[in-house]
Parts: sequence; C-alpha cells; structure tokens
Amino acid sequence: MEMWREILDPDFLLRNSVYMSVLVGLACPLVGTYLLLRRLIFMGVALPHISSCGIAFAFAFHTWGLIPHMEEGEHTLALAGSTIFTLGAILGFSWFEKRGRSLIEASIGTAYVLAGAWSILLLVKNPHGEHGLLDRLKGEIIAVSNASLGWTFVVFAIVALTFFIFQKEFLLVSFDRETAVTLKKNVDFWNTFLFLLIGLTISVSVLSVGPLVTFGFLLLPPLIAHGFASNMRQFIWGATAIGGVSALVGFYIAYRWDLPVGPTDVALLGVVYVLSTIVNRSIALRPATAHKSSP
Amino acid sequence: MTGDSLLTLDQVAVGYGRHAVLSDVNLTLPRGSFSGLLGANGSGKSTLIKSILGILPPLTGRVEFASEAGRALALGYVPQRDVFDPVYLLSSFEVVLMGTCGRVRPGRRIDAAEKEWARQCLREAGAEQLSEQMFAQLSGGQKQRVLIARALATKPDFLLLDEPTAGIDATARQSIMDVLREIHARQRLTILMASHDLLVVRTYVEHVIWLHQGRIQQGPVSQLLTPANIEEILDLEMH
Repeated sequence: MEMWREILDPDFLLRNSVYMSVLVGLACPLVGTYLLLRRLIFMGVALPHISSCGIAFAFAFHTWGLIPHMEEGEHTLALAGSTIFTLGAILGFSWFEKRGRSLIEASIGTAYVLAGAWSILLLVKNPHGEHGLLDRLKGEIIAVSNASLGWTFVVFAIVALTFFIFQKEFLLVSFDRETAVTLKKNVDFWNTFLFLLIGLTISVSVLSVGPLVTFGFLLLPPLIAHGFASNMRQFIWGATAIGGVSALVGFYIAYRWDLPVGPTDVALLGVVYVLSTIVNRSIALRPATAHKSSP
Repeated sequence: MTGDSLLTLDQVAVGYGRHAVLSDVNLTLPRGSFSGLLGANGSGKSTLIKSILGILPPLTGRVEFASEAGRALALGYVPQRDVFDPVYLLSSFEVVLMGTCGRVRPGRRIDAAEKEWARQCLREAGAEQLSEQMFAQLSGGQKQRVLIARALATKPDFLLLDEPTAGIDATARQSIMDVLREIHARQRLTILMASHDLLVVRTYVEHVIWLHQGRIQQGPVSQLLTPANIEEILDLEMH
C-alpha cells in the first residue's frame, strides 16, 4: 500500500513514466480494437518495427554527418523519423488492402522483415543511436520529459476524440465496405483516415515505450476485452480500461521488483489473457450458453 | 433511356481486373418491376449487381439510372449474408441503423427519428423480435431479414438483393420471399434479385434476366420460363 501511495504521489520521481505508461495503455488498445476487427493483427506487429526503423534512420543522419549531434533535438528527430516511416507504411498498406487480402499480407510481412533488418544495419555503426534504440527495444520507460509527456497526451487526446466523433463512419467502412459504397461514402478516404490515426498512435507510442510494448498494448487488451464484451461499446471501452489498469499495475510490479516496465506490462497482459481465456472457455462449456466466435 | 425505365445498361462489360465476366450487356429495368437475375453459380450475377451498385466499376459501357424528382436514386443493397465477419459485436438494430448513415452527416449522431425509422424497417422485414440479438449469432434466414431491414432503412428507390435465399431452409426461404413480395406490392419498389433458384424466381418475380455462358435473355416470366425453356436451362446447367 505504501508503495502505491509513493507511485501515485504527484512528487514521485518517476511520475512522468507512470503517466506515460498509462497513456500508452489507454491509447494503443483503442486503436488496436480496429486492427483486431479488420483482422490486421500482423499490421500491429509490423508497424511498431517500421516505426523503430524510422527512428534508426533518423539517428543515422548523425552518422552520415548530415545533422550535428545535439541532445535537445534528438526527440524531435526521432519523432519525425518514426512518424514519416509509419504514416508512409500505413498509406502503402491502405493502398494494398484495396487490392486484395493476399497482397496486403505479403506487403506487411515484407515490410516487417525489412524494417527489422534495416534498423540493425542503420544502428550498428551509430553508437548514440544504438544506445537510444536499445533502451526503446527493452521497453525502458524511465526518462520521460514534461514536453514529451505533454505532446503524447495531446496527440492521444486528439486521436481518441476523433475515434469517438467518427466511430459511425469507421465502423461502417470496416464492417461492410460494399454497403458503404452504395451509401455514397468515400470509403478510400475513411479507410486512409482510420489508418493514419492508427499510424500516428503507433509512431508516438513507439517513440515513448518501444515496439514490443506498443504491440503488446495494441493486441492483448482488445483480445481480452473481446472475450467478455457483448457489444461494441463494451469491447472498445473495456479494451481501453484493461490497457490503462494493466499499465498502472505493471508499473507497480516493475518498480516493486526492479524490472523493466515495458516487458513487465506485456507479461502481465499475457497472464491476464491466459486467465481470461480459461474463464471464457469454462463459461462456453456450460450447457445452454451462447458463445461468440473468437477473433 | 425510356420513360418508364429505372435502369439502363448500354454495352456494359463487367468483371475483375481486366477479365470480363460478362460483356455486351444491354438491359433496361422497368420502374416498379420485380425482376430476377437468374443464372448458375459463377455466371456473373453478383458481379453484375456490384457493377450496377457502383461497387465494381464496369470495364466498358454505361450504367444509367433515371433520376427521382431531380435527385440521385437511393440504392438499397442486400449482400450475401456470409460476407460478414462474426468478430463485430453488433446487435441487429445496430446493423439496421447503418442503413441510415447515407442521410446522417459524418460526425453527427443518429437522431431519434432515424432510430424509429430503423425499428419500423425491422417490423416491415418481420425481424422486430431480433432487434437486440447479436447479428453474428442469428440463423441464415434471420440474418437475411435483418439485411433486408437495413436495405429498407436507406429509403431506397431501387432494392438489389444478392442471393437472399441461398443456403437457407424452405420455410425461411418462403417467408423471406413473402416479405419481399409484400414490400414490392405495398411500395411499388423496383427490385432486382440475383438467384440461382429457379423455383423462387418462377414463383415470385415478374421479369427474368437469365445469364448463361455470357449470353443474356430478358423477358416476362410467363414468356421466358416456359416448360421448354426450363428444360433447356436445366439441361444446360447439368451439362
């Protein structure tokens, strides 16, 4: 209890890390629900890696002597690299999605493996970049500046608000693209808009907590929530709540036992997922109980 | 386009990519008619319906609709029910509400009047009792009723259905066709229904468009589906 009070104290030394964890825990599941609904989970794996590749590419500018090394400008440089790569990839995936399922799966797989390879190649000769990215890959959420926290909050708040306002349109084009066309909706616009919001969330999240934690929060809370929800509202808000609470509890566990925060969050979500699956299966095995199809 | 025709297809070719499934399609559909698009699996019925709806742009030719009091026609579409992913946790009512989205501006909430209209459409399709049930958990016939209700919620001038009776039992099939016949009789709505079920088409529709091996024949049921023609159709389908 004492440790909870310490963590939640506004003067806590790592308070920004707590807030950042919770922000990522709330925002990633919100956009992850749409990746799950559209059966694009593999995109959720690939995009954080592409985002990391963007950061590695941005850091490589130092190695190539194109930009002088400066501590204050690093965050902006990394954000630019991450956002440009993620949004570029998402626009590409959006284009491929229009042209068929097999094309998009092949393009996501290719992008994933190339992003991983290029991240390593770009960082291997860049000691500053390697150090920064390794921290991110490990999911260390320790040094979070006020500015970084503020920007992340603003971006996630805009994304959440946009999702709330245009939920009707996003759901329609995701559930039944053909009917959306007959209703004179600009399906390409809404799909691209949805993917841009997902890409923006992922690039900001990867910059703060790394690809592993980002993917964990994109996938696991929606999967857990889907098992228990009986409507879309419960699914979306349930996933968001599970993400937020897990981030807070994960931080507590990591702080208590001196573990890296990101992997602890993901491991905790994994335990919750296994437990929730067992509970769901036992409910489904009861006689005369309706059960849902799994995603 | 003739005065009483709602839809004209002029030298239309439809298909996927560069591959034409049907070419040189010339059709006119009378306003207020109930037409059946008859053909075997793979004959191009769904492709033609999707091209009429604008989902698949025609490869060549012209698809022209008559305007209704100076405005573009509202199209109601009932797709094949197995295209929907059960991962979506939507109630039947929420699915029907999607039919109103064409009239509700982006970012706006669906108002009470539209919600009441969606309930009325569920009643008309005989699916009122399914309103709160999860769409993914409905039987084939129940889903079809909900999809008809959703198409009605668009306030359509032209209703297009893609295989609404495929894969459902005889009782449900008859009940769905009775609903469509009632809607047609009451609203004089122009309906085009793709089907490979000869019995359904012969029993319920007025005009037939028969697709076979890229050829198209069109005419009233009484003229086109004569015993001799039916024998020929069945013989051709079997071979």
